[in-house]
Amino acid sequence: MSNFPVAFIVILSIISLAGIGFYCLLATRNMIKVIIGLQLMVKGVAMAFILGGNLTGQVNLAQTMALTVIVADTIVAVMGLALAVQVRHRLGTLDIKALSTLKR
Amino acid sequence: MNSVLITLGLIALPLVAAPIIYLFGRTSVRKQRLLGMTLAKLLTLLVLVLEGLLIYLGVQVWVAGGSVATNIGTIQVGLDGIGLIVGTIAVGLGFCVVIFSIPYMENENGEEKYYALLLTLIGSIVGLACSMDLFNLWVWFELMAISSYFLVAFYNEQPASLESGFKYLTQSAVGSALVLFGIAILFSTTGSVAMWSVWSNATSGTPIVYAAAALIIVGFGIKAALVPLHTWLPDAHSQAPSGISAMLSGIVIEAGLVAMLRTLSVLAQTHFPSGIILLVFGCVNILAGNLLALRQVEVKRMLAYSSIAQVGYMLVGFGVAILSSSYVAAAGGFFHMLTHAMMKGLAFLAAGAFLYVLHIGKGEHTALVLDDLNGAAKKYPVVAFLLSLALLGLGGLPPLAGFMSKWQILVATAGVNSTLMICIVIFVALNSVLSLAYYVPVINRLYRLNISETAAAGRSISWIMVLPMVILAVGIVVIGVWPSLANFLTFNAAASLMYPFGV
Amino acid sequence: MNLILILLVIGLPWLGAFIVLLAGDKHEKLQHVLAVAFSLAAGAAAIMLLPNVSKAVVISLPAGTVFGNFTFVADGLSVFLTIIATVIGSLAVIFSTSYMHGEAQIGRYYAFVLYFIGAMAGLVLTSNMLLMFLFWEITALCSYALISFNNDDPKAVRGGIKALIITSVGGVGLLLGALLIFVYTGSLSYSAILGGNASLPANILAVLAFGFLIAAAAKSAQFPFQTWLPDAMEAPSPISALIHAATMVNAGVYLLARFYPVFKDVPYWREAVMVVGVLSALMAAIMALVSTDLKRVLAYSTVSQLGYMVYAIGAGSVFASQFHLFSHSIFKALLFLAAGAVIHSVGTRDMTKMGGVGKKLPYVKWVFIVGALALAGIPVFNGFWSKEMILEAGLKGGSIVYYSVMVFVAGLTALYTIRAVWMVFYGEPRSDYHAHKVGLAMKIALAPLALAAVVSWLAVGRFSLLFGANSLPFHNIQPFGLKEMFHEVIALSTLIPLAVITLGILCWVFRSKLGGLVKAFNWMRWLAEHSFGFEGINTGIVKATEASAESLRTTQTGIFSWNLLAVLGTIIIFFVLFAIGA
Repeated sequence: MSNFPVAFIVILSIISLAGIGFYCLLATRNMIKVIIGLQLMVKGVAMAFILGGNLTGQVNLAQTMALTVIVADTIVAVMGLALAVQVRHRLGTLDIKALSTLKR
Repeated sequence: MNSVLITLGLIALPLVAAPIIYLFGRTSVRKQRLLGMTLAKLLTLLVLVLEGLLIYLGVQVWVAGGSVATNIGTIQVGLDGIGLIVGTIAVGLGFCVVIFSIPYMENENGEEKYYALLLTLIGSIVGLACSMDLFNLWVWFELMAISSYFLVAFYNEQPASLESGFKYLTQSAVGSALVLFGIAILFSTTGSVAMWSVWSNATSGTPIVYAAAALIIVGFGIKAALVPLHTWLPDAHSQAPSGISAMLSGIVIEAGLVAMLRTLSVLAQTHFPSGIILLVFGCVNILAGNLLALRQVEVKRMLAYSSIAQVGYMLVGFGVAILSSSYVAAAGGFFHMLTHAMMKGLAFLAAGAFLYVLHIGKGEHTALVLDDLNGAAKKYPVVAFLLSLALLGLGGLPPLAGFMSKWQILVATAGVNSTLMICIVIFVALNSVLSLAYYVPVINRLYRLNISETAAAGRSISWIMVLPMVILAVGIVVIGVWPSLANFLTFNAAASLMYPFGV
Repeated sequence: MNLILILLVIGLPWLGAFIVLLAGDKHEKLQHVLAVAFSLAAGAAAIMLLPNVSKAVVISLPAGTVFGNFTFVADGLSVFLTIIATVIGSLAVIFSTSYMHGEAQIGRYYAFVLYFIGAMAGLVLTSNMLLMFLFWEITALCSYALISFNNDDPKAVRGGIKALIITSVGGVGLLLGALLIFVYTGSLSYSAILGGNASLPANILAVLAFGFLIAAAAKSAQFPFQTWLPDAMEAPSPISALIHAATMVNAGVYLLARFYPVFKDVPYWREAVMVVGVLSALMAAIMALVSTDLKRVLAYSTVSQLGYMVYAIGAGSVFASQFHLFSHSIFKALLFLAAGAVIHSVGTRDMTKMGGVGKKLPYVKWVFIVGALALAGIPVFNGFWSKEMILEAGLKGGSIVYYSVMVFVAGLTALYTIRAVWMVFYGEPRSDYHAHKVGLAMKIALAPLALAAVVSWLAVGRFSLLFGANSLPFHNIQPFGLKEMFHEVIALSTLIPLAVITLGILCWVFRSKLGGLVKAFNWMRWLAEHSFGFEGINTGIVKATEASAESLRTTQTGIFSWNLLAVLGTIIIFFVLFAIGA
């Protein structure tokens, strides 16, 4: 762990990215922002893979995985945005509160 | 056929076929809709039959003493016991659902996408079950999730459908992010994502490994509907097209559970207390699921909640298996997975058939409530009988399949010589009785003499819809009177699961 | 030979059930004929088992691993109960051809009756605990389906579900016992533990013993589970006669009798069994005294008589209990079928609206009186002999307190029986009813039962041979002929119950002069009408469950942020637990 301070900083940023993402999910009411929160979370996790590759010396593998994660997550984001578009189309709002009719 | 070809075929076939099916359906939309769609449906069925054949060939290789596995780059994939049972359920249930959907989805907007995505869903579940690599497992899991998002929100002009789709998407995406985080941590600490090398490298229970395990349980737990992570489930199950509800309940949530078990088995040497955690979640799931279902008036929502309870039985089985290194318990868990797929599949298909003939077939997207079913047996005797059969099976009444699988789980639980386990047996059995309190009144309604207005005005039912239900019903009864038929599947799966735990 | 017969006894009714369903409700006549044919065939097969009674395992189908070998044994106890199930089943089916004539969905009715007959035979014939539990639950399922046969009547549906839930709750005891037997002996067959070849640890044996007692109490409608049986009276009368008087409710007694040899040494077990029997007998008799619904009176009396049987097992006399079971099945089936004929004819179950029915239906009146005399324990009728034998056994094997209560209950039995007979058949009509003619099939079904209620006790010698060393090895029951029975029953101590019974009858005769006494017991009447609070407990449990279900439902808010908060909360709980653990 010769590059300890760097690793430390990266760990901090991973946790804060994931935390900000989750907070965004919890707190925001706009559907687009919810998707952004999801993206933030996953980007933090992708960084965790890079860090892992760096720590264990398997940078290639780590980068491959991080790229795969980004691709997969983009698809999810696209799906989410498509749904958001439909919701805006049908309900005329992007407020997440409009999506609480199914309960009990 | 050699094992490499079998493995690759098993995984690649549905994914290669799915776009072709879409194209068949798509190109024909403007010109000759009928021809193209028929071809698409037939191709879907053909691919599923081929998948079944490949699984069968894989088993033949197995029985001859070989192993069905190969490497794609550094990624190891192979058909082991778990892959066999999950693949069988996915392909078998998928086959029934595809047949059921032929009349159900007829002329829906986007019909051609439906079959392509359904096949992708099935293919991704098979892939997930065959994967021997943590990251690859996640990729299949994500593919399964993505294909199911679309299917859940299929009726994209219905607000309720969109709502459930969006909630499902976000919660599921959060789950997969958590899983990924856990896998990243494991990768950082062990330097690998291949299951066996993680298994051999992760030997001590450091806090960081425990954190990874917790994230993985919660992440996969969202998909597997562990209470309190289950909140997406009743919405998604009740709003999806009925065939998809059957798939979601019958195999998708179980696929989440299987992925969780695979990952936990990798951590077997770290003494992570996964057994007790699963057991606790199991008991909570059973009780919460039953209570939540008790006062439901929407049929599909009730079935959805009952899925939460049924997953609880599997969790109890697997929890006991891991806790006490019990082979029988693991086999019981897988057995319940199999029987639940048949029973809940049948229940959702039958409920879906009612939903179709009473509401959706007439273009109304209202929910099927219990009152609609009053006296339905008079007009739809076969479907009413099949629904009753499925519900009685789910309630654990003999001689149906559900009783036998619960029995196996309970035998194993009682086999752990402790007072706590006896209490769990009593708790689980009493909950089975509690579940009767919501299954049985539905049956009473079906057999009333005074038919409800909705049921009286229903359309006639197509035999194509009934056919897959009959197949499932026969399976339920046959397994119920001859439970050891399933032993080959369940005990091989148990062997694969318990091997990393040193059993 | 036995192999084929056992397969026939179980298989024929099940096949019949299937065929009757297939015949379709459009061919009602065909359905009647088919049902009668299949049930009679099963009865014949069961009777043919009689000469071949043996303790040997007849069939053993290996089902593998945790399911054990599916074994069947045609020993004395099994064959006796099989015959009861199939023969009374046939009579009930014959009765039904007239009783259920013209009802809708008759196919479903017969299918479940036949399914029940097969399952009941299976329950007593199998020696595999898994199969026993399986058949146990099937009988509960059939009972539920038949109680709520009339699905449009909410009372019938509620009664059916109540019966199913309560018997299933008790079934948990049997399930647990079956599991423990498997875990500790490695086999699901009960013969290993009955023969003493496999010894269980004492605490496990106690769990087993009391678990089976709970199961038996729930199935046989004993204290504290007795509330389901009166509500089960919404079923058609032949069902009440078959399932809720003659067969299924005996399954609990059968279970206790079957396992008596191993359980008898469990501390407090026999005591508990006797207490259950005594309390059930007493409370049910008092409730029968105040009920005005003819079928409910009979239901309470069933609970009460089953209490006698349970008491006899606790007192150590399995034979007396089984002998009373034999008599009871006959006279109670007779009473229920006769009551069914009355109800079918008059159109009400309320005794306050009857009165003077005897003049219009003399045949039914006489057979009902035969049944009533047997129930009351009047000499020469079969109920007298078996009840006296139980009381004798109780005097020898249990405390004098229990004995005196049971003697008192015998008096109460006589009292409520004569009350019912009087209110239904004598006096002036208290409402404007039309008595329809009773169908020929009903009369045919009643005749053999009435005859048997008078003479069945003569068969005691043959009956006891069923329980001999070759056919029931672990119970150690000696042959017991007519001579021994006379010797035992015609004794000085018999005078006490007889006197009490006479007193009970006299109480009814001079009821107008006992006004003060009746008033003094008004509090008891109030208690009995409220079923001693057990109905309240049931309702309380149901309400509490429903309330918790409703409150749990509010956690499904449908609000997106709450859902994600639950996820976050779960992660935090995990981390906190690990932090504490580490």
